[in-house]
Amino acid sequence: MLLDLHTHSIKSDDGRAKVENYCQWIRSKNLPIDGFVLTEHRQFDAESDYSALAEKFDLCILKASEVETEYGHVLVYGVTPALQAEFDFGSISLPLAKVIAACNAHGAIAVPCHPGRPRVGMFAHTDALGVPAGVEIVEIYNGGSRDQEDQIAIEHASQLGYRGIGGSDSHIVSHVGRCATRFDAEIKSIDDLVLALKTGQFEAVNLKTGD
Amino acid sequence: MDQDITAAREKFLNQDFDEKSFSVPAEKTIEYARLCGETAERFLDASHPDFQAPPTYIASLSGSRALPEGFPRFGIGMDAGKGIECFLPVRPGTTITGRTHLHDIYSKTGRSGRMVFAVSRIAFYDAEGNLLANSDSRVVMREKS
Repeated sequence: MLLDLHTHSIKSDDGRAKVENYCQWIRSKNLPIDGFVLTEHRQFDAESDYSALAEKFDLCILKASEVETEYGHVLVYGVTPALQAEFDFGSISLPLAKVIAACNAHGAIAVPCHPGRPRVGMFAHTDALGVPAGVEIVEIYNGGSRDQEDQIAIEHASQLGYRGIGGSDSHIVSHVGRCATRFDAEIKSIDDLVLALKTGQFEAVNLKTGD
Repeated sequence: MDQDITAAREKFLNQDFDEKSFSVPAEKTIEYARLCGETAERFLDASHPDFQAPPTYIASLSGSRALPEGFPRFGIGMDAGKGIECFLPVRPGTTITGRTHLHDIYSKTGRSGRMVFAVSRIAFYDAEGNLLANSDSRVVMREKS
């Protein structure tokens, strides 16, 4: 099962894609992904219900979040009201250690995204701040990466023993599915996704290059 | 949320800092509609029973100032987009009043560092005080690194 683990809809301030349009695009272009995860910036979109769209287009549509820390941006899968009470999702200077600890306490998982990117990627900060404890997975394929950003992510992840995921980081419909993550198990819910991530049954896929 | 953003929100959000009247000439709204490629008669024909300005017309109206006096300079400001909400038709031939307040202030980090966004909202009212529409202008200020 192939899921794009990093997308933004119009719920994000810089997102220009409606969720329905993502679905239409995926089906009209016969993209090989089976669904996508909405990771809205600095928030968790608790109110939107995409179950009807998921059924209509036979796609798995899940919701997560992208928060901002001193180590850059971090995807959070498995957001619950209890987790939301632990820290301010709207902050742009969250301590990564606090995010990871809160995720661990509430059955969620934190995944630094585009870690090879200047300023907003984790590996841009490890020289100055050290390698953070508790990171097990990073996004090694990001659809918005430029130059050598993914290569930096892959090399550092390999050195540190991190597993890698892939996501398009799409903000417009035509970018969805550029990168994704292949799972052995069938993912039907955010709990399934978190479990699969924690148990390591996945691999990152770059659909731009075919890697 | 960063302390300086929290402080700016507390000081500036939801306080009107500008008020301006706008006449809405029919010839101007018709020309605007025509240039937008509108084909609906209610935007183009002054004799239409539901004659009105196109919804986006209000986005062309600006107040006397974009940000309140004393608003901190986080960096060089750039246009970061516009949005409108329409509640009632804007009728050509009338005069409407726009009152401006800051609707939102927030920050985010990107490839170029911290960016501060300010959303300036002009709320447009008719002569009876009915809220016709909101026009939001978003300004992004990129901090010098």
